Amino acid sequence: MPFGKFVSLMIPWTILLLIGMYAIFLCLTKGLNQTNMDNRFAFGVWIFLDLSVIALGAGAFFTGFLVYIMKRDELRAVINSAVVLGFICYSGAILILMVDVGQPLRAWFTFWHPNIHSMLTEVTFCITCYLAVLSVEYAPLVLKNKKLKEIPAFLAMEYELHRIMPVLAGVGTFLSFFHQGSLGGLFGVLQAHPFAFREGLAIWPTTFFLFIISAAAAGPSFILLTTWIVSRISRKRLVSESVYTLLARISGSIPLVYVLLKSIDTFTWLNRTVPQMGLSGMSFFLWAPFNIWILFVEIIVFGLIPSLLLIFGGGRLRAGWLVASAALVCCGILLNRFVMTIQTLSLPTMAFDRFMLYTPSWQEISAFLFVVAYGVIIYSLSFRYLRLFPQETELDRN
Amino acid sequence: MSAKRAKYGMVIDVDRCTGCGACMIACAAENNVPPGPADSTDRTGITLMRIYRADNGKDFPENESVFFPVSCQQCDHHPPCVSVCPQNAVEVDAATGIVAQIPVRCLGCRYCMAACPYHARYFNWWDPVWPEGMERELNPDVSLRMRGVVEKCNLCFHRLQTAREKAAAEGRAEIIAGEYVPACVEACPAAAITFGDLLDEESEVHRLSQRGESFRLLERLGTGPKVYYTSEREWVRALAEKDPASTPGRTAATD
Amino acid sequence: MLPWIYGFTWQTGNVIFLSIFYCVVAVIFGSFGIAVIRAYRDLTSGRLNEIRWHVDFDDLPEFAKTCRHVFSGEIEYQVCRNGFDCRSCKTHSGIIGVHMGANASYTGNESPSGLTIQSDCMYHRGHTWVHRESDRTLTIGLDPLAERLLWSRGKAELPEVGSRLHVNGAGWYFRNGGSRVRVLSPVDGEVVAVGGRDEGFYLKVNPGDDSDLRHLLKGTEVYPWMTREIERLEILLGADGDGINLADGGVLLDDVAASYPELNWENILAQMLLES
Repeated sequence: MPFGKFVSLMIPWTILLLIGMYAIFLCLTKGLNQTNMDNRFAFGVWIFLDLSVIALGAGAFFTGFLVYIMKRDELRAVINSAVVLGFICYSGAILILMVDVGQPLRAWFTFWHPNIHSMLTEVTFCITCYLAVLSVEYAPLVLKNKKLKEIPAFLAMEYELHRIMPVLAGVGTFLSFFHQGSLGGLFGVLQAHPFAFREGLAIWPTTFFLFIISAAAAGPSFILLTTWIVSRISRKRLVSESVYTLLARISGSIPLVYVLLKSIDTFTWLNRTVPQMGLSGMSFFLWAPFNIWILFVEIIVFGLIPSLLLIFGGGRLRAGWLVASAALVCCGILLNRFVMTIQTLSLPTMAFDRFMLYTPSWQEISAFLFVVAYGVIIYSLSFRYLRLFPQETELDRN
Repeated sequence: MSAKRAKYGMVIDVDRCTGCGACMIACAAENNVPPGPADSTDRTGITLMRIYRADNGKDFPENESVFFPVSCQQCDHHPPCVSVCPQNAVEVDAATGIVAQIPVRCLGCRYCMAACPYHARYFNWWDPVWPEGMERELNPDVSLRMRGVVEKCNLCFHRLQTAREKAAAEGRAEIIAGEYVPACVEACPAAAITFGDLLDEESEVHRLSQRGESFRLLERLGTGPKVYYTSEREWVRALAEKDPASTPGRTAATD
Repeated sequence: MLPWIYGFTWQTGNVIFLSIFYCVVAVIFGSFGIAVIRAYRDLTSGRLNEIRWHVDFDDLPEFAKTCRHVFSGEIEYQVCRNGFDCRSCKTHSGIIGVHMGANASYTGNESPSGLTIQSDCMYHRGHTWVHRESDRTLTIGLDPLAERLLWSRGKAELPEVGSRLHVNGAGWYFRNGGSRVRVLSPVDGEVVAVGGRDEGFYLKVNPGDDSDLRHLLKGTEVYPWMTREIERLEILLGADGDGINLADGGVLLDDVAASYPELNWENILAQMLLES
């Protein structure tokens, strides 16, 4: 792609990035009154964004796990791309978290006075450690740039970093398990909100485990989706058909397991957890617009259908179908995160309480889009100047 | 310091409450709550004590309503806000049972607000600003909270300190019941709120809390609130545990 | 966080949580530190050439890494994992052990796409040839494919007489303006003379006592390798343009680069000369 065309494609994203930066500047200087969050909606679209991008970024740990620990060498074709996506997602999430808290300069308090009983402590510790891991994993990709490689120190560093990759992949997997889970636990422990509350297995509520599995499901789907999109835009074949098929199989089977467990969990919650609190499970679905359709869409339309398509359509269906199914799986995970954050907070807890909704302010939306634009720009630059898909040259035959 | 272990709590007679809001005003004035800016709403303002209205859902002439003054319910058993705070900014005072927010340690993540079933926690969305001259009316016993931290009712803990200091000055080891009373209790014109040590079996608050007509909000959650409500009316008592979905649209929050 | 920080407790959960955290931090920064120390050692101990080749080789597409024994038909499919250094390769020694000298009798002179392969030369995967002279020195030159690619690509920067070369290290460079193309050294040894295009060779090397040249292609392997490399070049050319037919009437043009100036030659040359 010529440089001029690349720049012209980046211009709209840069504008979005600048608007987002201004919104973030407003929030940091004037305070969170710039948002439409309130005492009831203490968490808004930003927390939804954090949960979502961290789930989508799970491809980094999962692919790393498969490549370096399980030795599935086929997936080396997408590991670099997965690392960049992971880095973007985690750094974006941490950035927005820093804007989201009232006193960002006190962020270190969590490390200094940690309350180990809080799921948020676990999340904070794990995602900062994991961002460090991802940065170290991203570094060799940058150092491998043709021009940078000329510098001896960079070359040696790149080579040596590559050798410690399996260790980092192992640590990354360990950390990811815990923080993906803790993000689920974040809401599962809220006894105040019977809609989100789940009973525990060991010391964690069931959402802890569901979030791990759903993140593992979203990761490969998102990699499949981005690889296909980038391949369409750049008009290059980036990975071989067999990699697509393998990714489709992985991103089909894990959601299927997830859908099964999620259904079991939902039934247990409807028939055991909620009645034990003296409430009727179905009563949570009486509040428009969050009626029962949302559960149906999450489990069937965004869960069961695409995972079956991905598993059985792997070799037979056209790429378009696989990609659409992967997109649906991602949507399913996003909807789940939306339900856990926004719907949970909108439901009343006391009899004289109200059902409430909230509309994000332009500052919140711009900051949200800032992360998207930031992701697109970092990924595009990485794709242009670094080697994200090792099979690219090999496959580039007309 | 008081060696005796206490468990401060209150009983609010909702049959007496007229919803006048005196407790809310007294609370805000006592605790140096800044007036909300022009663009603040009932959802962003700080009301450490807030009155909710509910009705029995019937038409005139059978209609009846009730007011629930809701502040921090001072949960006694695993308060949800304590375990979720990532940096131990919520502490339970073992000597008094008071659940207190430590604003100087608060990061403003607002997880505790999501975790509180009573929506009794409030976030400082704005910098605290008082109109010209009004800052002279600030209570010197209560420190101000900065923008971006969470706060809540701590049963006017500073009043307990004052009472203790007075007792110490007079050579007493213990404060006398009645020496320590939160501002809302003092302000209620209907004397609907009774305050005291729930562990003290001779106290009025203990007696009232043990009555059959007394109840607590969302007792099913097992958080053991130390704020009791009492009402002679059956339907009012039922509100405490009622599924909010069973009366959608019939209730409303007021200031 | 730390035992002397206000609020720290020795509760089991707290201790376990923090221990795990410190372990994780130690592993992350420890492994990073090890990488930094190793990189420093690599820089000071002069392992850089070896590493450069290792990194470049790692990046080559599998198609370019086909084992020499596939060319000779001895194995169906094998991708080289040994940096084209057959001297330390188990597969190679295994196969050579079975039928040593299978190629020795080969004397044919073939010319794929008009490129003449010399039967008395050995070829390196980086497109150089090596000829053993009677005085035990080795003459090194560019093979016909590289010669045609580099015809008009600037000036050769040859090493000084007396400097040492290592297999798969940098042999010499071609500089053209700001860009530079590396030619891999096919052998170990000391440079005893330098030439140029007009002399018909680029370097003369004295390998010393150790003149193990097992890693070089010879005999029947060369033709299929060269054919495959021409195919690879065609792919690379096609990738950047609209598919160019290299062989004009079956013969490769003398100066390929000059005929297609619009292509990204820096990249194509790097790929062909295994710089990736």
